[in-house]
Amino acid sequence: MSAAVGAERPQVVSHVQQALSYTVFDCKWVPRSARLLCLGSAARGTGLVQLYELHGARLELLREIEKPKPIKCGTFGATSLQQRYLATGDFDGNLNIWNLEAPEIPVYSVKGHKEIINSIDGVGGLGIGEGAPEIVTGSRDGTVKVWDPRQNDTPVASMEPVQGESKRDCWTVAFGNAYNQEQRVVCAGYDNGDIKLFDLKTMSLQWETNIKNGVCSVEFDRKDINMNKLVATSLEGKFHVFDMRTQHPTKGFASVSEKAQKSTIWQVRHLPQNRDIFMTTGGSGSLHLWKYEYPAQRSKKDSEGSEMGVAGSVSLLQNVTLSTQPISSLDWSPDKKGLCVCGAFDQTVRVLIVTKLNKI
Amino acid sequence: MPVWLREHSWRQSLAAVYLSLPLRGARATPANIFCSEQYLKVSIPPFLFEAVLYAPIDDTNSTARIENGNIFFTLYKKEPAMWDSLTLANADKEKLQYLRENAVLKAQEKAKEETEAKKITKQEHKKYALEATMKVEEAERKRIEDLKEKERQKVTKELELWKKQQKDGDNYKSIPKKRELHQEIQPLKERKNEKMNKTQIPNEGTSKTRLKSTKGSCSIFSQNLKEEKLPAPRAAATIKVNFTPRVFPTALRESRVAEEEEWLHKQAEARRIINSDLSELEDLKEEEKNPDWLKDKGNKMFAMGDYLGAVNAYNLAVRLNNKLPLLYLNRAACHLKLRNLHKAIEDSSKALELLTPPVPDNEKARVKAHVRRGTAFCQLELYTEGLQDYEAALKIDPRNKNIEKDAEKIRHLIQGTMQS
Repeated sequence: MSAAVGAERPQVVSHVQQALSYTVFDCKWVPRSARLLCLGSAARGTGLVQLYELHGARLELLREIEKPKPIKCGTFGATSLQQRYLATGDFDGNLNIWNLEAPEIPVYSVKGHKEIINSIDGVGGLGIGEGAPEIVTGSRDGTVKVWDPRQNDTPVASMEPVQGESKRDCWTVAFGNAYNQEQRVVCAGYDNGDIKLFDLKTMSLQWETNIKNGVCSVEFDRKDINMNKLVATSLEGKFHVFDMRTQHPTKGFASVSEKAQKSTIWQVRHLPQNRDIFMTTGGSGSLHLWKYEYPAQRSKKDSEGSEMGVAGSVSLLQNVTLSTQPISSLDWSPDKKGLCVCGAFDQTVRVLIVTKLNKI
Repeated sequence: MPVWLREHSWRQSLAAVYLSLPLRGARATPANIFCSEQYLKVSIPPFLFEAVLYAPIDDTNSTARIENGNIFFTLYKKEPAMWDSLTLANADKEKLQYLRENAVLKAQEKAKEETEAKKITKQEHKKYALEATMKVEEAERKRIEDLKEKERQKVTKELELWKKQQKDGDNYKSIPKKRELHQEIQPLKERKNEKMNKTQIPNEGTSKTRLKSTKGSCSIFSQNLKEEKLPAPRAAATIKVNFTPRVFPTALRESRVAEEEEWLHKQAEARRIINSDLSELEDLKEEEKNPDWLKDKGNKMFAMGDYLGAVNAYNLAVRLNNKLPLLYLNRAACHLKLRNLHKAIEDSSKALELLTPPVPDNEKARVKAHVRRGTAFCQLELYTEGLQDYEAALKIDPRNKNIEKDAEKIRHLIQGTMQS
């Protein structure tokens, strides 16, 4: 348990705990509200979407939507603030976009992949960033596909293995570098430790590396700026923070890595209000709050005169163990600083408040 | 024999007896005094004083004072009564003995009880201390909990406030929005109707998608009215990806890499033994890849006298499986016939190696190996080594006459060369 001594350290306070009767795979705040969504799989093999509202010290169930296939992941990233449509990926490889007011028929639906969609991300919506709204999905069939909700049935970009190459599961995807209308970058992490960065403007592979452990989660610190930092978490309790401002022609991006705990780090999420603070969730049911410190000089010249980045350092602000099962999903509220929701495999969703984030 | 101290003097009151005992120069310590209910003893070797008291006394409260070479006893009687004398008169030896033993026993019991009592009090003290520390820790924990609770409540209040703000904001926004939407929907509805009428769609499926796309375009229009900056969807493209190769279908874990490497190595080894030069062997028939079949072939060729062919067959068999001792054994025989004596020695040695541990099962093979090696040595004129091998063969199989005869011959040869 965290030490309460040291009154300046942020504290992670458990605000509400809600037991669920199904396995929750993803939880997301509904933007501009005190409502949250839990996505998961019921025992009978169907998918469940539950909408809760935060009332004082408890969660009140507003809606429950059942779908034929279990749902693995969801995002609000590609819809406008008025519509707030939810894009979900399910166990069958279907990408659906739902209007939660009328959830019987999806607004957009495509069987995007042959196997489960492991991860989904959206960009261009919610008034953040510029450019077309796009959704990227990564699947166990080894492909990463980018979809535009205005174009049916075919993806606008697809990253597939070369003919004849055996596929590796794609475990996580993230958008980044969306600072103007043309620029977009998709980062994908795979189970064999590969991280690949695809530039959508030039439709090419910009950078790849291998971090020696299966990559569980990647996230840029902000999607809508010139790409600044990328955090990639992996099995064996390690995560890497890449400085994405300077790309060296051979060495790629500079990184610092940290071994936080013995178990898998399932998720990393940056605080929307401060891009240098992020939280990692662990397979042992723990949460770690980290702060990244930039080095004195972010780039330096190497022996041949080409620029290479300098990675900073990461310090642990707080850690707390909430559960005995992995915490598989975490989402910060974009509206209230320090409010977050996490879902764990012990069929519980918890709303947490992280205090004293202003003083960091 | 102890020296009895008899010059004691005593006086009594109703409740107590005062006994004074002069010690003849001896120094007394509390350990020398033993007192029980009815028995009093002072033993300072070689001096001894004992008294079986007239009546029982309260030995816990009685005292003894040591000073100036005297011991002053103050014994409190159990029953206040005047004693006739200090000690029991007419006490026979047995009674005395019994009393003495009793006294000792009683004293021991008392000592035990005292230790018990001490233990109990100690435990109680410990318990008390433990409880005290627990209370302190509890208080600390409560303090921390209270702090946390306060934080929570503060944040909850803030949340509620913020939520209220949201609600108010929403309500305010939704009214004009409704009006706007209404206005947008009207022209859109008309456009939709037009579309539907123009393109008579009998198929429900497509109509659904049509509906969807118009719905989509609905939102586009509403968005466009606000920000007309959305670019068109990207031109579709595919990026081909290569993965870092990995043999196993499971995810990569650093901690397992060493084990995986080892396993792959082993598999490679195993495959190599079977697959070495498999490229060359590809044009062989299936049976020719079976070491046993090849061995049989070799044997047949040996029997027919085709020693070179036999060697070839055995070579191939060894390439396929180098753990069969019989292959080496037979190849040694071929080499002998071909007079490749060194090769014969090598092969017999290899066969012997593989024939460990020496068990009755491989007796015959070992005999053969030794004999062949011995023969090779002799033909190289290394008679001593040859003899060694023959003797080894004899040891395994003493009843073989041929080996004996040959051994004799070699001995004679050796003796002959030595003599000459």
